[in-house]
Amino acid sequence: MSPETGRETALSLRDISYTYPGSETPALSGISLAIAKGEIVFVTGPTGAGKTTLCLAASGILHHEYGGTLRGAITLLGRNVRDYRNMGEIGRHLGVVFDDADAQLIFTTVEEEVASGLENLGLSREEMQRRLHEVMEATGIADLADRAPHTLSGGQKQRVAIAATIALGTKILILDEPTAELDTEATAAVSALLQRLSGEGTAVLIVEQKLGELAAIADRMVVVEDGAIARVGSPAEMMQESVQEQLAGGRARLPAPAASPGVPVISVRGLVHRYDGVTAIRGLDLDVASGEIVAVAGENGSGKTTLVKHFNGLLRPTEGSVTVDGLDAATVPIAELARHVGLVFQNPDTMLFAETVADEVAFGLKNIDPGASEEPVDAALREVGLLHRKTAYPRSLSRGERQRLAIACVIAMKPKVIVLDEPTTGLDARESVGVMEILGRLRQDGHTIVMVTHDMRLGAEYADRIVRMEQGRVIRDSRTYEEEPCPRLCSTSSGRASFTASTRSPN
Amino acid sequence: MQYVIRESVFHRLHPLTKLIFAAVVVALAVLTSDTLPLAGLAGAVVAVAVAGGLGRDLLRQVPLLVSLAASLLILTIFTVQNGEILGYLVPPSVPVIGGAFPVTVGAIGLALAMSLRFAAMLFAFQLLVISTQPRDLVHLMDRLRMPVDYTLMLLIALRFIPSLQLEGKRIHEAQLARAYNPGRGPAGKIRGLFPIIIPLVSNSLGKATVLGLTIDLRGYRSGARTPMRDVAPGRADVAGICCMSLLVAGYLAVLVV
Repeated sequence: MSPETGRETALSLRDISYTYPGSETPALSGISLAIAKGEIVFVTGPTGAGKTTLCLAASGILHHEYGGTLRGAITLLGRNVRDYRNMGEIGRHLGVVFDDADAQLIFTTVEEEVASGLENLGLSREEMQRRLHEVMEATGIADLADRAPHTLSGGQKQRVAIAATIALGTKILILDEPTAELDTEATAAVSALLQRLSGEGTAVLIVEQKLGELAAIADRMVVVEDGAIARVGSPAEMMQESVQEQLAGGRARLPAPAASPGVPVISVRGLVHRYDGVTAIRGLDLDVASGEIVAVAGENGSGKTTLVKHFNGLLRPTEGSVTVDGLDAATVPIAELARHVGLVFQNPDTMLFAETVADEVAFGLKNIDPGASEEPVDAALREVGLLHRKTAYPRSLSRGERQRLAIACVIAMKPKVIVLDEPTTGLDARESVGVMEILGRLRQDGHTIVMVTHDMRLGAEYADRIVRMEQGRVIRDSRTYEEEPCPRLCSTSSGRASFTASTRSPN
Repeated sequence: MQYVIRESVFHRLHPLTKLIFAAVVVALAVLTSDTLPLAGLAGAVVAVAVAGGLGRDLLRQVPLLVSLAASLLILTIFTVQNGEILGYLVPPSVPVIGGAFPVTVGAIGLALAMSLRFAAMLFAFQLLVISTQPRDLVHLMDRLRMPVDYTLMLLIALRFIPSLQLEGKRIHEAQLARAYNPGRGPAGKIRGLFPIIIPLVSNSLGKATVLGLTIDLRGYRSGARTPMRDVAPGRADVAGICCMSLLVAGYLAVLVV
């Protein structure tokens, strides 16, 4: 029985400590946690706190697949994980949604992906069909049934990964950052589905950076810090406390924008982009003025990333024109456009290859100026707070540091426009605030910032302007401090509930 | 190389028919080193693909085949000196090393035969992959009582081909956005690999762990699978087997004659 709920325990961790192979510092220390059938437990904490390791421990993966030193006892449905033969046997009772949606998609169509696990359960065809359609409807992917998973947007992939796991109908669900890339609508759909499953007796363990919709449906919230449980409480209380911390200054305060926008540095006219029979952008007009911070927001698959890839020539218009800093982005070579537009990709690991942090930053700079000195490299690293790590191996940095390194790589090239694709995905509250502060300083230095985000709240908090996209069109273009109200209490992508636009520095 | 969603005649064939086709082509390709029958075999596979509406998909592999043929040619010139000498890699007029590395008819013939053999095998295997959903292949291998590890290896290999291509494209774009311009020609290609290979390998290794766990958690080692739909052999399969028999008979006749 779970002492907290009086219900039968589905999953329990007793005094779990774990040290990864080759490491001397434990990733988990003395974790004890029990989750009852039908209970939803929400785990949060800063990056590197051990949340993902906790997921791996709770699912038996550390015991069956990893080396290292594991102490304590993990029990699934009354049986120690050591007594399960392998992960296949555990998989009959427990489903895991990992934080890398891409890596969980195995098959060539969405329907095949969701059906794949069902075919291994010994169900009748009718039951398989029923579950397949029910889960695809509930996660909002029914219209993607024939699409190839690798062609989907990040949020769509995440929904498919969630659907494929939920379809298995396991009694325990563990979800690691399941909504990191989901828009509000999809997050709401996943929340509703998890609530329903919990009502049917499924035990759910959710790990998230964001205190959003999923925190609100949880029965308990657990904060993990430095590999140990720091606090346990009710989500309502802890979210309220988070708001107060926020008001006490845990949020970036960006300098005010200029009173009137500068001259347009990006000008898009009648842009249409088609690929593989899909029209991703459908006749779009947009001007971005010099010195603005513009958020391009919208639901998953609305065409945000497709739009900004036109700014630096990675995509060329099917119809229409894109002018950046006076250059025709439809014809000017990418290498030339890179002097004017820097693009920070969503996942910094996409670009990191050098031996040292300094070499990584120098790579782009030397591509445009082979004789460049070290000074701009140091200046860029100083700007993002990584100068002291300049000799470190880039891939050994934390996720937040790698994100800042990716920004430094672009800053060093001194482009007029800096585009960031989902700049806070995977970052904790402190790191997200740090990134936003960097953007504020870059704007002060004369850069124009365009950030792509599926998170309207991020835009409402930090951008001067939000351009909302839907199905490849701009459906709203508004100044945030004038027209973009946000609920008085809303959770932010930076992981903190906050009061919104009214707390921005007045002009 | 990955499954293509389309309504072609190949998509309607039973996976076993397509697997037999691929196996037959592989067997015929290793039966001889004569370039003419091998060219005929590769041509026949392409013709079948074109007739089935998958010609364009197949021809996407041509750049890879051309690169392979060029590499094989260089390799055979260095290692095979057989038959009439057509010329020299180093012209005889060059002092000291002039006349080194003769290009012989035998070397060219061997390179050509190996390239054609590889082309025929690649095209046949590609037809199987692009017209068969991976889960149908998994069910087929189950029915053929293949060990589950081999089935999973095939599944992972099929999964990784498009995934690596996509990841490689993403990394290439990220480096282009940093004004990277490795230049044209072979030297540029080699220079261009370095900033792509390291992130590609690192990211892929990270994904492989999650992929393996996902396969296990979805019960792919349970061994008891119920296909959601039955793919039964039909008239198209009978016609396909007849065509294959004709191909085999014609090919063997050419070899004997």
